[in-house]
Amino acid sequence: MVYIQAMIPRHLNILLADDDIDDCLFFKTVVGSFPLPTVLSYVHDGEQLMKLLKESIAILPHILFLDLNMPRKNGFECLTEIKHDDKLKALPVIMYSTSSERDLTDRLYDNGAYHFIRKPSDFLQFKKVVHYSLTLIMQGNSVQGTRNNFILNVENNLIRPEAF
Amino acid sequence: MAITIKSSDEQLILVREELCFEKEANAKLFADLIVARNELSFQKDEQGKRAAELGIANIELAFENGEKEKRAIELGIANVELIFQNNEKEKRAAELGIANLELAFQNDEKEQRAIELGIANKELVFQNEEKEKRAAELIIANKELLAFTYISSHDLQEPLRKIQMFSSVILTDEANKLSETGKYNIERIQLAAKRMQQLINDLLDFSRITTTELTFEKTELYTIIEDVIAELKDTILEKQATIDAADLGSANVIAFQFRQLIYNLISNALKFSKPALPSHIIIKSRVVKGTHLDKELGSLEREYFHLTIKDNGIGFDGQFKERIFGVFQQLHNKEMFGGTGIGLAIVKKIVENHNGSITASSELGRGATFDIHIPIRELL
Repeated sequence: MVYIQAMIPRHLNILLADDDIDDCLFFKTVVGSFPLPTVLSYVHDGEQLMKLLKESIAILPHILFLDLNMPRKNGFECLTEIKHDDKLKALPVIMYSTSSERDLTDRLYDNGAYHFIRKPSDFLQFKKVVHYSLTLIMQGNSVQGTRNNFILNVENNLIRPEAF
Repeated sequence: MAITIKSSDEQLILVREELCFEKEANAKLFADLIVARNELSFQKDEQGKRAAELGIANIELAFENGEKEKRAIELGIANVELIFQNNEKEKRAAELGIANLELAFQNDEKEQRAIELGIANKELVFQNEEKEKRAAELIIANKELLAFTYISSHDLQEPLRKIQMFSSVILTDEANKLSETGKYNIERIQLAAKRMQQLINDLLDFSRITTTELTFEKTELYTIIEDVIAELKDTILEKQATIDAADLGSANVIAFQFRQLIYNLISNALKFSKPALPSHIIIKSRVVKGTHLDKELGSLEREYFHLTIKDNGIGFDGQFKERIFGVFQQLHNKEMFGGTGIGLAIVKKIVENHNGSITASSELGRGATFDIHIPIRELL
């Protein structure tokens, strides 16, 4: 938490690991509409991600959005590696996937993911969910919550309309 | 006779001598007579004895004779009997001869039949083997199909999601640049895409019901119902629905599937409620013996858990009672009721996973009743 708060003042550094260019575009559009200074970086596979993280220990992103299905090293492997690395494990990781099956999200929760977002099919809803998750980080709230609040979506009451 | 006169004395001596001689001769004769008489008497005795013996023997013979006559009569009767039996046997032998011929013929027939059966049997064995092969192939094909359904549903979702996302980006960010027709058309794209997504999701649910591992556990049914009611509370409020479900007991079921079953049946009842009438759903359970069921539904000895879900909704025409359980089968316009027609197919699949049966009965406008029978199983 200290780690996040120290970084808050100027920019919110967001890292997105996703091999799908459309999803990267949607993400960029959403983050671009966020009324706060953000820096969005991308990697397109798991190996790239781990290499980047290990090279930039001193200037880690504030939050990582991690796609589950990626070439070379998948999101689940990356998450496990991150949470087993003392220098990386404080990094909040939001998992990001088309499938939100219960046993999958349970496994992700058990492996220390911060939250789970289902890949979107509606732009406005996606915007709300991403904004909400960035707000959490902005507020310095980067510790894994309860299992019930693990999945972020507009249907559950986590997303307060007045926040946007 | 020449009598010679002699002196009287001499004569007398002579006479006396003569007399004496005669006397001796007489005595001798007498003795002989006695002997003879003794002999006769002895013989007489002997004859008497013999006669007595002969009498006895005679009686004996008469008796034997009687016996023999009786025997002869008996033998006569026996003979008649034997003749009769003999005739009978001859008749019988003739009959047996005919029967024998008949049997020989039948035997031939049977041998032929046995050969035919042998051939038919070989054919059956072959067919059986073919069927087993076919069944094995079907199991593999089925698994492949399920895997295919599952994977393709997953992979189909991606491009579809992109269609939805891009159209909603256009509608959100470019709304003021679009004509009314342009907006309408994009909304139609979204509707079509949404429907396709629903179909894919339902297909995915359906294939998941068959692919997931099945674990039976003792489950309190009321807990499931409460859970489902909580999840459906918005619809329940909207339809002003009352759900009666008391004392349902517990059953050994695949818990998460049974929850889905209850969910699908309750939401089905809510969906097809009458617009002007508050929905009333009655859920009951009891344990029944197989004898209460149609033969087709189960064996007679087993006990079944019988669950009834009855509503007062719009019902359906009885002729569709089988069809409503088919995949993607709908009786109503989807614009009016929505849905893809997979809910009841999933319900049926779940019941089958419990080795049970489900039937629906209804009349148009008079509500519907779903009857589920699940064999009661003891947990190992």
